[in-house]
Amino acid sequence: MKNDTLHLAGVYTRTVMKSWFQYNVDAVLRVLAVFLREATGIVVIYFTLLKFDTLNGWNIYELLFLYSLLFLTYGIFIVFFTGLRDFGKTVRDGGFDRFILRPRGLLFQLIFSNADWFAAIGHGGLGIVLFVVSAGNVGIRWNPRTVIYYLAAVAGGILIQGAIFLFLASLNIYLLETDSLKSLLYWNMRRFAGYPISIFHKAIQFCMIYVVPFAFVNYFPAQYLLRKEDMAGYPAVYMYLTPAIGVCLYLAAYGFWRYSIRFYKSSGN
Amino acid sequence: MIFFEHVSKFILSDVNIHIPQGAAVGLIGPSGCGKTTFLKLACGLLRPTAGCVHTMRFIPEKNRRKIGSMAGAFFADIPFFQGEETVENSFRDIRAIYRMGEEIFDREYAALAERLGFGSFAKEPVKQLSLGQRRRAELGAVLLTRPRLLLLDEAAEGLDQTAKDSLREILLKRQAEGTTLVISSHNMEEIAALCDRIILLDHGNLRYYGDRELLLKRFAPMEEMEISFSGKLPDPEDLPIAHYALRQNKLQLTFNSNYVTSAELLGQILAQTTVTAVTTRKSGLAEAIRESQSGQKN
Repeated sequence: MKNDTLHLAGVYTRTVMKSWFQYNVDAVLRVLAVFLREATGIVVIYFTLLKFDTLNGWNIYELLFLYSLLFLTYGIFIVFFTGLRDFGKTVRDGGFDRFILRPRGLLFQLIFSNADWFAAIGHGGLGIVLFVVSAGNVGIRWNPRTVIYYLAAVAGGILIQGAIFLFLASLNIYLLETDSLKSLLYWNMRRFAGYPISIFHKAIQFCMIYVVPFAFVNYFPAQYLLRKEDMAGYPAVYMYLTPAIGVCLYLAAYGFWRYSIRFYKSSGN
Repeated sequence: MIFFEHVSKFILSDVNIHIPQGAAVGLIGPSGCGKTTFLKLACGLLRPTAGCVHTMRFIPEKNRRKIGSMAGAFFADIPFFQGEETVENSFRDIRAIYRMGEEIFDREYAALAERLGFGSFAKEPVKQLSLGQRRRAELGAVLLTRPRLLLLDEAAEGLDQTAKDSLREILLKRQAEGTTLVISSHNMEEIAALCDRIILLDHGNLRYYGDRELLLKRFAPMEEMEISFSGKLPDPEDLPIAHYALRQNKLQLTFNSNYVTSAELLGQILAQTTVTAVTTRKSGLAEAIRESQSGQKN
């Protein structure tokens, strides 16, 4: 049974890859487009920092390291959660009804039947570039403990973002349209998360820690490795919570999804 | 196979139906009468607001996967494939989803691709296909897994005549092998060719459910007979008919088949004159439905 599920995941992944990469030139250009679009934002910050040197004690390499966590987690996350990102559209064009008619798990089908590989490679690639550029210049001592922590934090960051998307997809069952909510709760917060949260107003900090916990995707994990002075403003334990928050939040979102899916209505005519 | 007990949903109100295994049921009625709602309830895409639905002894929305593995459903408004993927790859997905063996898959796929003619564009992405081409591939995908129950909503729409004929042949064969069919369509010819039972819906009410022939008897019992004769002029005045027309050496009779048979009438005419040719015309399903609706308005 488990084996069979893995087999289907494999078949799905192969089909998805084939359809995304059926035109080689097109694929390369579109990956490049995503990469450059995201990289421009980084370039702007780079030139700004040339004037100011540091931002609340963070120098340019430390900021790039902060960014690299954001892009790396997104690059991996989007491979699994494209189906939830596009959930509203799938529901509107009847694609979700197709999943209901088939004898497989709904979330499983959503997760494996599509993956935005261009975003994955574009964001993930940028994340790797930023990591390579910054990691050697921020004074992290890499040893087994920090490496394991780093991997656990990346996994936690992926789960946190997955939980946000799963939660929004569940809401979509009641509201039918959650794109604007998504841009408010996810994309806006993600933009804030590019900076050390200590530079923001208390209200925004509160949102990013307790409402949409983006701070745990990159700020607190980066603090564990960098130990900047502005960490004094937050409980030290926050630096260790990312994996636990990721798991808990995802389980909670999954529970909400299971509950909400019972209210799903196909369009009837 | 399918039970509806006092089912209400959207326009459908208090529908009671039992479709036995192996039946071929035609779902007919004007647009917006609840045909699609009926089929969506049967496969669990909708849940009833009142009453209860059982499909293959399961409650559809609670046993989605069990029903999904045994029933094949086609709806015109549900895209069966992801647009960017090729037909061939979509079929491979379906093979894995339904856990089909390689050998069975290859055999069924080859047979359906040939009959429905989607082999020639199997390597193209679905979004580049015409409606008719996509339909053919989609129907192939529904039939591929050999479901025991087929729910088809306006399945033949958009198909050309050849494909329609192939589909009809395949469905007749499947039905002979024991598959239960529930088909909604506006094409009465198609329904008449495939279905032995009819569900007639009208504004969400079940107007008729039962044998196809009985539907005709009930709503469209009128028949016409044209008799060419030579010799003596027959006298139809005393015959139990609705009306007649006499033109040169042809007599046209219109009568209610519930009261008198064409054989009886012919016998009476034969006693009076020499008959050279007879043609009869029965009302079809289309007339029956028109009748049933005009009856409703009165």
